[in-house]
Amino acid sequence: MRAANAAGAASLAFAVALMCAGAVGAQGAGADGLLREAIDAPNNVSYVGQVQNTEFGQSKAEATIFRIEHDSPNLTRRWYVAPQALYGDSIISRGDTSYNVDIKRNRVIVTKDDALDDQVAQDDNFNLLANNYRAVQGADETIAGRPAASVLLVNKYTGQTVLRVWIDTQTKLVLQKEQYSSNGSVTRQMRFAQIRYVKDVPDGSFQIPTTGFTRVQGASHGTPSNDVAGAIRTAGFQARGPRYLPEGFTPIAADITTIKGIRTLHLLYSDGIRTISLFENARGAAVDLSKYTVHPATVDKQDAQYVQDGPTMLLAWAESGLHFALVGELSEDELSKIASSVVP
Amino acid sequence: MMQHLTNPQLIDYIHGALAPEEDASVHAHLESCALCREEYATEVALTELLRKQAALEERDMPSTVKAAIWQQIRDARPSPATRILAWLRPAIAIPVAAAIVLAAYFGLHSQQASAAPTIDAAYLLQDHAAMNSTVPFGDRSGADAAELQSGSSGSADETAVNVQPAIYTADAGR
Repeated sequence: MRAANAAGAASLAFAVALMCAGAVGAQGAGADGLLREAIDAPNNVSYVGQVQNTEFGQSKAEATIFRIEHDSPNLTRRWYVAPQALYGDSIISRGDTSYNVDIKRNRVIVTKDDALDDQVAQDDNFNLLANNYRAVQGADETIAGRPAASVLLVNKYTGQTVLRVWIDTQTKLVLQKEQYSSNGSVTRQMRFAQIRYVKDVPDGSFQIPTTGFTRVQGASHGTPSNDVAGAIRTAGFQARGPRYLPEGFTPIAADITTIKGIRTLHLLYSDGIRTISLFENARGAAVDLSKYTVHPATVDKQDAQYVQDGPTMLLAWAESGLHFALVGELSEDELSKIASSVVP
Repeated sequence: MMQHLTNPQLIDYIHGALAPEEDASVHAHLESCALCREEYATEVALTELLRKQAALEERDMPSTVKAAIWQQIRDARPSPATRILAWLRPAIAIPVAAAIVLAAYFGLHSQQASAAPTIDAAYLLQDHAAMNSTVPFGDRSGADAAELQSGSSGSADETAVNVQPAIYTADAGR
């Protein structure tokens, strides 16, 4: 009897353990699944609302507020309410092409970003996020009057929460998201202040104004290459890459652009959420930091300078005839460590 | 008896310019002739006065003399055409031409160096933000807003010059 009881207890314990494991697995899969659904949501739902974006710097915050109209899958109009300098301007996105309507200068700036249509790159980057971050489902909350499930993305190497998203439990649209620095403070926030789902949005909302407006060709971004080594080889100069990157970061894209006639290599590294850009040129073109408060820094025992733009830091230095700029939302120490590892 | 000494004899005697025999004869005469001794004394005193005066002041050269000297210098100077021809001699012309070429090269080079191009930090920040579009939960709305606010035409060249990234500023209250 005692043996039978013991066997029964063991079976019960195993069953409970199995159920718990299953529950954890389901929760993990649930959080990951929510994230995937959230990324696809704009392709499936149409809505109108008002959004506030805030970027937090060391001593100030910068916010933009815009009304948004979205017709799935890929028509979006953002009409700016604040700041004052942007009031009345709008950005109309039609697939991979954006039309920035500048009502003060009566012109429309047309920009194209092929990467927005690069589903393969987007899938790869989601897998990168899944490899480096653990999705943890948090408490449900109400955002803009809608029930929302929150998901925290915890870095697997540092244990720090880097991103938190609030996902509409019905439509799976991201209603709010917050990004955090290594010390836990919020660096960037997006949130819907109002939202109303609609069957569709009238086409007139996405018409590009023509009468009285000058159309200007803006900067276009081709599909960035994921062949970073190839881009370095074709840069036209002895380009360099960092030998040190924080854990989880990997090169995801490279681009060679000509800025003011200067051939510039842009290497992008990411861990799925955070990104680092390394710009370099061999034409003696230093970075003009005159519009910012410049701070001294050191890169590999050489003088360097850095500036802060909201949560983003730009570190600039020159070495062996090359000019470098490292841009990212990491700490100054981390950026300096990466910069010091940029060697031939 | 010797006749009285003449004034030139006395001056030459004072300056030691007489021949030995005449010098001895003048000396003997002065020993025996009081009138000539008085004249000798007067002449010595006058000579001494002139020497002292010459030592006290440097007398300027008369202007006419100076004018004559400058005229001679001008007359001796070659004409401009002659001087140009002299510069065209190979021994001078080749080094001068080389110096001009080198100066022009290095002058242009240094001018280019001082006007080295720069890339606006705002453009790099904006490009960084734009490249985030494929990162999950990343969006380029911030980059779009910065581009719109910059007033740039959007071309890479102009963006690099004109972008003003600052957006609405408010106290973070953190």
